[in-house]
Amino acid sequence: MPRVIKAENLSVRYRTKKGTWNEAVRGLSFEVEQGEVVGFLGPNGAGKSSTLKALMGFVEPSGGSCEVVGLPAGSLEAKSKTGYLPEVAMYYPFLTPLETLTLYGELQGLYGQSLRVEAEHLLELVGLTAAQRKQNRTLSKGMLQRVGIAQALLGSPELLVLDEVTSGLDPVGRRELRTLLKERQKHGCTLFFSSHELSEVEMLCDRILVIDKGVLVEERQMEELKNDLKQYAITYSGGASMIGLSEEWSEVEPGIFQAKFRSKKGLMAGIERVNESNAKVLDLIAEEGSLEDYFVQAISGRAA
Amino acid sequence: MKFRIYKALARGVLLETIRRKDLWVVAILGFLIMVAAGGLGLYGMQGLESFAKDLAVSVLGLFTTILAVMNSSRLLPEEIKQRTLYPLLARPISRMDLLIGKYLGAVLATWIAFAILSITTALALVIFGVHFELIMVQYLFAKMLGLAVLCAVTLSFSLYLTPAAAATLSFILAFGSTMIIRALVLANDGASPATAWLFKGINAFIPQYGLFDFGGRVANIGWAPVPLWVLGSLVVYAAVYSAASLAVAWVGFRKKAI
Repeated sequence: MPRVIKAENLSVRYRTKKGTWNEAVRGLSFEVEQGEVVGFLGPNGAGKSSTLKALMGFVEPSGGSCEVVGLPAGSLEAKSKTGYLPEVAMYYPFLTPLETLTLYGELQGLYGQSLRVEAEHLLELVGLTAAQRKQNRTLSKGMLQRVGIAQALLGSPELLVLDEVTSGLDPVGRRELRTLLKERQKHGCTLFFSSHELSEVEMLCDRILVIDKGVLVEERQMEELKNDLKQYAITYSGGASMIGLSEEWSEVEPGIFQAKFRSKKGLMAGIERVNESNAKVLDLIAEEGSLEDYFVQAISGRAA
Repeated sequence: MKFRIYKALARGVLLETIRRKDLWVVAILGFLIMVAAGGLGLYGMQGLESFAKDLAVSVLGLFTTILAVMNSSRLLPEEIKQRTLYPLLARPISRMDLLIGKYLGAVLATWIAFAILSITTALALVIFGVHFELIMVQYLFAKMLGLAVLCAVTLSFSLYLTPAAAATLSFILAFGSTMIIRALVLANDGASPATAWLFKGINAFIPQYGLFDFGGRVANIGWAPVPLWVLGSLVVYAAVYSAASLAVAWVGFRKKAI
C-alpha cells in the first residue's frame, strides 16, 4: 500500500505573547497508508490541530519533516490532492454555500458547468440543497459544518484531513457523515481525522493514533483494540476455582462467584472448569469494552 | 490559471463588500451630495464653479480614501481572525496568489465605490451648472491609481500592525504625506550631506500620494490637461510602488503562522 502521510520526528512550536516558545508537537512520527481511515485522538491542547496544520503547510515544522501523498506537505501539488476541514467551520458570512463552494472550486482548478454540477451535488450530499442560496451568516453551526465537509470533498481528493469532523452535527448528521466518508473510503480515499467523539472514531476508524502533550502515546489497529477491550464474565454457583484462568475472580454473594476473562479462549476454559467441578453456570455476559475508558486510561496513565 | 485564481478571490472580496453594504453607504453619501448640490443650485449659486469643483474633489477624495483604508486594513487580519483563511490556503494556491487576489479585490471594490461617487458627484456638478474639462477625466484616472497604491500600502501595514494601527498609519500618510514631504524638502536646505541623504531616502520611501491628486487643477477653471507622459509616469510609479508594497506584505505573510 502506498503511503499517503508520513511524519518523521515532526515538531511544531509557536512563539507565545511573552516571547517564549510553546512546543505543540514534539518529535512525532507516524504513517498512514492509502485507503486507511485513521483517527487522531488526544485531549485538548495535545497537538492534534498543530499536526494537521503542519500536514497542510499552514505552519512550518520547527523540526523533522512531513510528506502528504508522497509530496512535501504544503506544496501546491500535495494540496491539490488533499481536502481539508478546519477545526472551527468559518466561511465568508455574506456568501451563500453555493458561492462558497464555487469560490473554493475555482481555486482548486475547477470551473464552468462541471464545477457548478459538482458543487450542487456535494451540497445535496450534505443535505444543504434547500439552503444553498442562503447567506452563510444565517446558517446554524451544524449547517456550516456541512458546508465545510462539502468544500473538503471538492475535486474528489485522495486524502481527507478533517479536524473535529463531527463538531456541531446532530446524530442524524453524524450518521449521514459516516455513510458519506465510508463511501469515499470505498473509492480509495484516505481519511485522517481528529475527533473528540470516540463513538464516531470507533465506528469509522481502521486505526487510531493517540497523542498527548505533543507526543504519540498509543497506536492501535481498531479491530485489535476492540478485541482487547472485550470482556467476558461468567457467574456460577459452586466451588470451581478460577485461579490461573481468570483476570478477576470474586465471590459476589455467598456461594456465588463471578469470573472475568479478557478473551473468548479464557472464557471457554473457565466454563470447562465449572463443568469439571460440577458447579453450575448461572449467567454469561459478553461486554464490548469502552474506547472512552481506554482513552482515559491511556492519557491518565501517562500523566501518572 | 493564475488569472482564474485572482478573479475568484477578487470576486469574493467584491461580493462580501457589496453585501456588507459598504458600497451602499457610499451610494447614500453620493445621493446626499447630489441633493445638497441641487439645493444650492436652486438657490442660485451656479456662479461659484470653482467652489463647487473644489468641494466635489474634496468629498470624493475623503470618502474613497476612508473606504480604501478601512477595506484594505481589515482584509487579511479578519481572514486570520475568523479562520476563513484555512479553507483558502488548503487549496493549491500560494500565499502570494492569495495576497494578489485579495489586493485586486480591495482595489476593485474601492474603484467601484469611487465610480459610484464620481457619477453622483458629476450629476451634482451638472445640477450646479459646472462645465466639464479634460483635466477632470485625468483627475479621476490619477485618483484611481493613487487609490490602488493606498490599498497596497494599507494591506502591507495590516500584516505587521493591528488593523487599527494599520488604518491610522495609512490615514496619516494619505492625508499628510504632502505636508511631510514639504517639511522634508524645507529641512533639507542647510542640512549636512548625511542628513540630506537621509531626508532624500525618507522622501523616496514615503508614498507620494500628492502626485495623484489633480484636485487643485480641477478646481481652477480653464487649466490645461497634464501631458500624457505625466500620466504614463504616474502609472509606472503606481505599479512599482504597489508591487514593492505587496512584496513587503508577502515577506510578512509568507511564513506567518496562522
